[in-house]
Amino acid sequence: MASNHSATEQNTKRHKVEGPKKHIIAFLFSVLLTFIAFATVISGEINKDFIYIILIGLAILQVFVQMAFWMHMKDRGHTFAIIGILSGVFVVFTCVIMAEYWAWW
Amino acid sequence: MSAHSHAEGHLPHEPEKATLEGRNKVLGFWLFLGGETVLFGTLFSAFLALRHQVLDGPPAHELFSLPLVAIATALLLTSSLTSVFAVHAMHTHRVKALINWLIITVVLGLGFLGLEIYEFYHYVHEGHGFTTSAFSSSFYTLVGFHGAHVAFGILWISLLIVQLMKKGLTVVTAPKAYVASMYWHFIDVVWVFIFTVVYLMGKVV
Repeated sequence: MASNHSATEQNTKRHKVEGPKKHIIAFLFSVLLTFIAFATVISGEINKDFIYIILIGLAILQVFVQMAFWMHMKDRGHTFAIIGILSGVFVVFTCVIMAEYWAWW
Repeated sequence: MSAHSHAEGHLPHEPEKATLEGRNKVLGFWLFLGGETVLFGTLFSAFLALRHQVLDGPPAHELFSLPLVAIATALLLTSSLTSVFAVHAMHTHRVKALINWLIITVVLGLGFLGLEIYEFYHYVHEGHGFTTSAFSSSFYTLVGFHGAHVAFGILWISLLIVQLMKKGLTVVTAPKAYVASMYWHFIDVVWVFIFTVVYLMGKVV
C-alpha cells in the first residue's frame, strides 16, 4: 500500500478534470440494460433458457459498469479490492452452481 | 498520518485517502463487501434451489407485478447515482452539495423501502406468508435481507449527514462518507441481481 502515497498525488490531477459526466453515462447505460431486461421478459416470445442467459448476461454487465465507475474500481490502487470481491464471487459461484445443478439430483 | 500534514482549512483532493486510517478504512470496507457478497450469494443459491417448491401458495409468475418492481428499481438506481454525485461533491470540497446529495439518496432509499413494505404486505394478503412454502421462505429471507440492508443504510447515512453538518468535511469525516457511498452502491448491485433472478426469472414461465 506504500505506492498509494504517490498515487494520491497523481490522482489529484485526473480528478480535477473528471466531471460527473461519466457517472451520468454509466447511469443511462444501466437504465438501458434494465429496460432491455424487462422488455425481454414482457415480450416473452423467446425460448426460456435463452431468456435466462440474456437476463444473467445483462445483470453481470450492469454490475460490472456500476462497480467500475460508481465504486471507482477502475481507478488505481484497487488491487486488494478486486481480490476481496473476487474471492467472494468465487464462493458465490460455487454455491449457485451447487444449487442449480446438484441440489435436486 | 504525519506523511500528509495539510495546512489548516486546506483539504487534499481525495480527502478519504489522505490518511493511513482513511485508506485502511476503504480497504477494510472492500473486504467486508467481499463477505457481504458471500452472504447474499448463499441466500441467492438457497432461493435458486427452492424457487419452484411452492406447495399450495401462489407461484412466482402469478404473484409478482413487474410495474412495482420497475419503480423500485428506478428509485434505487437513481439513489445510487445521487450517492456518486455526493462523492463527486466531496472530491471538489463542496460540503453543502455533499450533504444535499446524501439527503436525496436517503429520501429515495425511504421510497424504495416503503414500496417493499407495501409489496410484502400485499403478498401476505395474497396467501404468500413466510411459512407458506420453501419458495416463500427463501424469497422473504433473500429480499428481506436486502431490505434490511437498505434500512440500515438509511440510518447510517442519516447519522452521517448530522455529523457532516456538525463537523464539516475533514480527513476524518471524508472516509466515512466515501465508505457509506460504496455501501449504497453495493446495495444497488445486489438489487440488480434480485430483480433479475427473483422477479424477472420468476416471471418467465
